[in-house]
Amino acid sequence: MNGAQHILDAFHRHNIHTVFGYPGGCIMPLYDALVDDVGVEHVLCRHEQACALAADGFARASGDIGVCIATSGPGATNLITGVANAYMDSIPMLVISGQVPSPLIGTDAFQETDILGMTLGIVKHSYLVDDANALPAIMEEAITLAQSSRPGPVWVDIPKNILLADVAAPIATKAETPESNCPDVAEALAMLRSAKRPLLYSGGGVSLAQAEDSFRQFVQATGMPSVVTLKGIGNPGKGNPYNLGMLGMHGSRAANKAVEECDLLFVIGARLDDRATGKLDGFAPNARMIHIDADAAEINKLRPADLALRGDLNQILDAFTKALSSEPLLISDWQKQCKTWHTTGGFQAADNEESLAPISGPAFVRQLSKIAPDNAVIACDVGQHQMWVAQHYEFDHPRHHLTSGGLGTMGFGLPAAIGAQFADRSSTVINVTGDGSFMMNAQELATIRRYNLPLKLIILDNQCLGMVRQQQELFYNNRESHINLDDNPDFVAMARAFDIPALHIERTDQIRRGIEAILAYDGPMLLHVAISREENVWPIVKPGGSNKEMIDETRRTSASTKEQVA
Amino acid sequence: MSPQAECSTPSYNLNCRMQSEAAALERLCQVVRVRGFRISEMSMSSGGEHLDIALTLEGSRPIAMLRAQLEKLHTVEEVLVQPLSSVRSALG
Ligand SMILES: Cc1ncc(C[n+]2csc(CCOP(=O)(O)OP(=O)(O)O)c2C)c(N)n1
Ligand SMILES: [Mg+2]
Repeated sequence: MNGAQHILDAFHRHNIHTVFGYPGGCIMPLYDALVDDVGVEHVLCRHEQACALAADGFARASGDIGVCIATSGPGATNLITGVANAYMDSIPMLVISGQVPSPLIGTDAFQETDILGMTLGIVKHSYLVDDANALPAIMEEAITLAQSSRPGPVWVDIPKNILLADVAAPIATKAETPESNCPDVAEALAMLRSAKRPLLYSGGGVSLAQAEDSFRQFVQATGMPSVVTLKGIGNPGKGNPYNLGMLGMHGSRAANKAVEECDLLFVIGARLDDRATGKLDGFAPNARMIHIDADAAEINKLRPADLALRGDLNQILDAFTKALSSEPLLISDWQKQCKTWHTTGGFQAADNEESLAPISGPAFVRQLSKIAPDNAVIACDVGQHQMWVAQHYEFDHPRHHLTSGGLGTMGFGLPAAIGAQFADRSSTVINVTGDGSFMMNAQELATIRRYNLPLKLIILDNQCLGMVRQQQELFYNNRESHINLDDNPDFVAMARAFDIPALHIERTDQIRRGIEAILAYDGPMLLHVAISREENVWPIVKPGGSNKEMIDETRRTSASTKEQVA
Repeated sequence: MSPQAECSTPSYNLNCRMQSEAAALERLCQVVRVRGFRISEMSMSSGGEHLDIALTLEGSRPIAMLRAQLEKLHTVEEVLVQPLSSVRSALG
């Protein structure tokens, strides 16, 4: 077997049957090996960035590792944004790039870039293979490492001569993941029991650890009110009575109020990102903090924990649940208080039921949430529409909400949706995008068509870079600078050019029919939704400000009102 | 940075044992820089499969955070840190 065949062999051993890639000179031996391999489906995207983002979406939706492949030079550099995206959100990913032949490295050869050097800060680990016999063991280690503990992308850069070389080394044996021990929860339990106003704060770590069930059992056992980060949306499940939803810059007033008032913050699988905490000085000022995470480097990074537990979230949460089931927490007053806040300070949409009225973004998302099936996967892009989905769509599982949290990558949604559709060909996958974001990876319409993916695309078109416009309006004296997109292409005609049918709607009374039409259609379809240019995302905390100082004009109060939940 | 500010920046000796691989030093230095520290002295010796790297660092962020980030690197085997009592001010 040559090096390329060893790579495919590693895929098979790890049940990797879908990869996203784009060929070119130095990676050609791998593409040659793919010709004879019927067990690996190679998905040709139309840009390497989309390959990486599709691999990311595949991993998020399935919980399995995502794989992307590119050639050296421009192919590899085009992957970078997608790999950085996966790194920031701890997504398990294997990145394979071709490299110029070993003797040419360092000679500025055609399509040579030092991709290892360029990507050090966005990978969990990386390899430049310099010995063909090391390749089997490297592949084994890379695939295991990407998925272990806190997951992340691992990059393997392979010179062309190594892909072609006969490999004498035996097929690597599967690396064992070390068993982790559950830390003692007794002290944390005592802290939890002594708290009068404990609040659960959960993030993306719950689904990364595949601890969704343990998390829900724990929530049930404690009855603890909870807030979620952008990536934790869906953790508590649909209809959980004590879930206050997302906190932070665009969080609900109820969620931020609960954080302000709690006396114990119970943080699970979250890294206290600045978009969630706001200014740290004002964050949870009355609370002690228990921090539970798989990554020791997250503990005490931004706010010192009064108690930290590091390890597998499943084991830790199960230990708490077991201890709590015999003697539940006595927090009924606090539960009641949080429920009241949720009623008065939950996300509000300025509902305009008038049928001829222009469509409001939040109202559209609320309808979508009601009409789409419970297990639909929503892949968002970045901007106002992303926040409206986070605020107004009710998710029953974190893997149904694909969103670029850490990097905030415009152009994420469409390729991520493609990845999610490959993860489950029968699921309903909907890309909710903005007119700006859509154009960042619009070439992927060709991929949808080629593989006949029944994806649904929804463009919330406000003819501008809405999120930037909103911040210019609120924080830069409404001095609009380069956010205008009123010369957008005709998106309906554009979809049709790729042989994807499309509909346009612009009035409130068309929302339901528009959504139902695309969901009922047996194949890919695009819904172009014209929305107002001026609509903002409420509430908002000024970047760098404290979460206490939310601006909320949902009910058309004055712009400077610093509202708090009564 | 004013000389005064420089004087008050804490410094540390950091010793790191890494598996020997081509990008080892770059990985280490990248993390040190990004996490807010400046390398003022550096030496390295290689023996067998290991590299032993000694750094003198300056930085005002908590050194424990840097240590935790370095320990996460796949090829880092051990990190030892020792505060240096204001070397610079002693040097005047
Ligand atoms: C690749 C990239 N470039 C720039 C930005 C900065 N940015 C954040 S939101 C946004 C506007 C997005 O516009 P659109 O997709 O139309 O969404 P809207 O806010 O209008 O809903 C921009 C430019 C980004 N997040 N990603
Ligand atoms: Mg827009």
